[in-house]
Amino acid sequence: MNDIVAITPELFVLLTAGAVIVADALLSRAAARTWLPIIVTVGLLAALFAPNGLAPYPSQAALRSYGVFFGGFVQVDAFTNFFRALFIILALFGTLVAPTYLARKQVPAGEYYATLLFSSLGAMTITLATDLITLFVGLELMTIPVYVLAGIQRRDRFSNEAALKYFLLGAFSSALLVYGFAWLFGITGSTRYSDIANVLRTTGLANGQTIIALSLITVGLGFKAAVVPFHQWTPDAYDGAPTPATAFMSVAPKAAAFAAILRVLVSAMGPLAVDWSAVFAALAAITMTTGNVVALVQTNTKRMLAYSSIAHTGYILAAVAAVSAGTASGAAVLFYVFAYGLMNLGAFACLLYIDLEGTRGATLDELNGFSRREPFGALAFAVFLISLTGIPPTVGFVAKFLVIQPVLDAGYVWLAVVLALNAVLAAFYYLRVVVHMYMYDAESGAPALIPSRLLSLSLGISALAVVLLGIVPNTLYQWALGAAAPILP
Amino acid sequence: MTIDHVLTLLLVVPAFGLLPLYLYRSDPRAVKQVAVVTTLVELVLSLAMVAQFKVGEADFQLVEKAAWLPSLGIRYLVGVDGVSVLLVPMTTLLTFISVLYSSGGAIKDRIASFMAAFLILEIGMVGVFVSLDLFLFYVMFELMLVPMYLIIGIWGGTRRIYATLKFVIFTLAGSLVMLVGIVAVWLASGPEGSRTLSLPDLLLVRDRFPAEFQFWVFLAFGLAFAIKLPMFPFHTWLPDAHVEAPTAGSIILAGVLLKAGGYGFLRFALPLFPTGTQLWLPVIIVLSVIAILYGAAVSTVQKDLKKLVAYSSVAHMGFVTLGIFVLNPQGAVGAVLQMLNHGFVTGALFLFVGIQYERTHRRVIADLGGLANHWPLYTTFFGVFVLASLGLPGLNGFVGEFLVIVGTFQFGGVPLGGLFWGPLAAIGVILAAVYLLWMFGRVMYGPAREHYAMLPDLSPIEVVCALPLLLLTVALGVFPQPAIAIIQPSLDRILRLALDPTWQVAVR
Repeated sequence: MNDIVAITPELFVLLTAGAVIVADALLSRAAARTWLPIIVTVGLLAALFAPNGLAPYPSQAALRSYGVFFGGFVQVDAFTNFFRALFIILALFGTLVAPTYLARKQVPAGEYYATLLFSSLGAMTITLATDLITLFVGLELMTIPVYVLAGIQRRDRFSNEAALKYFLLGAFSSALLVYGFAWLFGITGSTRYSDIANVLRTTGLANGQTIIALSLITVGLGFKAAVVPFHQWTPDAYDGAPTPATAFMSVAPKAAAFAAILRVLVSAMGPLAVDWSAVFAALAAITMTTGNVVALVQTNTKRMLAYSSIAHTGYILAAVAAVSAGTASGAAVLFYVFAYGLMNLGAFACLLYIDLEGTRGATLDELNGFSRREPFGALAFAVFLISLTGIPPTVGFVAKFLVIQPVLDAGYVWLAVVLALNAVLAAFYYLRVVVHMYMYDAESGAPALIPSRLLSLSLGISALAVVLLGIVPNTLYQWALGAAAPILP
Repeated sequence: MTIDHVLTLLLVVPAFGLLPLYLYRSDPRAVKQVAVVTTLVELVLSLAMVAQFKVGEADFQLVEKAAWLPSLGIRYLVGVDGVSVLLVPMTTLLTFISVLYSSGGAIKDRIASFMAAFLILEIGMVGVFVSLDLFLFYVMFELMLVPMYLIIGIWGGTRRIYATLKFVIFTLAGSLVMLVGIVAVWLASGPEGSRTLSLPDLLLVRDRFPAEFQFWVFLAFGLAFAIKLPMFPFHTWLPDAHVEAPTAGSIILAGVLLKAGGYGFLRFALPLFPTGTQLWLPVIIVLSVIAILYGAAVSTVQKDLKKLVAYSSVAHMGFVTLGIFVLNPQGAVGAVLQMLNHGFVTGALFLFVGIQYERTHRRVIADLGGLANHWPLYTTFFGVFVLASLGLPGLNGFVGEFLVIVGTFQFGGVPLGGLFWGPLAAIGVILAAVYLLWMFGRVMYGPAREHYAMLPDLSPIEVVCALPLLLLTVALGVFPQPAIAIIQPSLDRILRLALDPTWQVAVR
């Protein structure tokens, strides 16, 4: 019974997904478009405030729910709860911004919401895992629905391309990952994180087999998080997928990949940290620089945001590389992932105001005069972009500050400087969008706008959150610190 | 009457103006009234703050603190001392004037957004001068960036987008490097758990900063301040930004934003990194003198009126860094006075260039001429500010530059000593007289031109904008002693901190 209680939030998400499928079959198409988002919202809110406490910081109820369940396959701790809450918030956000777009593009609503929920469930499972097998189940449960989401606009060739590319490379990376897990099992004789850590603590990186396992796992998870040079699928997948799906898949799978990186590389393979952290530092520098430089020359906003999300992977990876700085490093990763989730999902969702042919996002010129035509959406977009740049008073700035801190503490002064200079590069292309929205006037051929109250409401709330968390970041930071403690004491 | 929490109030009053601005956004009259009233309240409040300030004390006053990110030792900590207490009312006065002038018809498009940008900008500017925690300072330093970016980019001239992106990228490059420096200082401030970014606490542990560390961190901070100031050779964003900015933007940019750089050196770089200061001092002295001479020389050949004033700012800010880094009382007091004076005088010069441009739609000096025949009032005001800018004794510009030059003559450090740099700086003053008087002659005098005959002289609102600046220009020129009495004690403490790395001072 305890086992079932421990995974209440996951059960709620699962039940909601089931309810969506049933309701979709029973309701008429028009009614489904109205009622499905409501069902999803209620279900996700129930999961968020489930009796077993995803309260922002460890409440008594939450503390009581911590422990190991299902014979050691599942673990609930502060880390799990942090990510559970993040994934539920992202799924909620991804749901609320979608309805108008789905109706306009004739995307089947039931499938969209159900796959989104299943993917979130997978992401939540990843953070529950204490075992490579649970982890792999979670990873696949998260990514397979996302392939579907990317290709959900069946008649759009870019959507098809996105889904196929994402699927092929995703399947390839999963194969590498499983192969890595197999090596790891062969070396340590266990799939349990704690056992793996114990064995590695005594052997270290003594033999070539460990190096093979480590490299395969790094590459596999690197694919999922879009680390350069394993990022090639990202721009096409993000660009071709329907925009609400892009908004979701640019944040949730990435956050889940970092959760997995923290659980596997930092926690289970922590004894090897000295060996892999320098590699990660180099990967971080390459990732952020490549992402930013390529984003610089994009004229399509959606593709630009796709490349910039690669750059953000680099920033987060820098904090992972600074593992020797202890809890501060883990807390920086968690804080950044949370901030990134809010602002990047928001930035992609801002493109939903514009009625465009196909799935591809607006070019910079199509954004001309956006601030006059849709003042509220433009303001929200500007807030997200400023936050992504890392200018105070936004949460993006605090996140950058928190990342620089363990990076310097771990002795990677060069990486901190590279990070700062990268932020300048990023400022150029992020602010160029603001230039087009605010400083040019719309031309006659500008695409029509699709105002949506629900979209404005959810963007307004998240833009406000981005600013407020930038002014009073302490609660979120304390929560991140508490959540990082089980990983990096 | 004393007002509690006056500094915090100064930081939130502009924010209170934002809501009515949003509610009345479609009614330009109401928008203007809200903005003018808000900035007027802020101005009065800042004067009340000065009235509460006890002259003669070196320590920080009106200090307020609160926990912000307690686990990182980051606090909300504000306070003023002699160096900053006058910069705050300067900021609020110039903001009030900018808003008042802009509501007189200079800005027609999207006025609610314009005023909102100014109010947010004001929070950042006041915040920079009252922050005593490096994190808070950085937040405020950057808070000035986005509003100014929008002000130049939306309401600016024809090349506004190039200018505003250049401004932002330059400034951001500097400040992000400073952010790395700030984190480095935080890490060096103590063992885990007792780290801090509050200036008073950092001053107690600054002897833990080794020389090599200070060298690099001073560079990180100095780069941000040098770009903001701007120092030669980081000044190239300034002429573009000033020329393209709307009049109110130029006033604030020249009047206040540049001061954040000079202030940053005095408040943080000098006291925290005395060894770093000594290591970098020769470079900064040389660059300052180059800025003075180069700024003056380039001003001389400018064809564009606004660009001329912009380059003259480069020269004037050269005096500020020169005065700070000769590290003696005369130079430093001169530098702080120069910051105030430059705020009032160059702010006024940009105001008058703007007023003139709004009427004639010409900024090229060769196209203008004979304006004195039609605009007696304008000529009088403009003339006084031009004379103040070139350093005429009896007006405020003279006091600051004179003290800086005196300080430079006494400077005994490397390279080459004060007797070499002092005369060079003095040449800059002579050059200023050349280009400013030459410009004034070509623009104002000469034969009357028919097509300017119909243009009106200063309007009442413009006189109201200019009059306080004029009074301050004369008052600070004739009687600078009260200002010096306020500045001196705190400045002496900063200099002692900079000159004696082992000196410990317990501050509030």
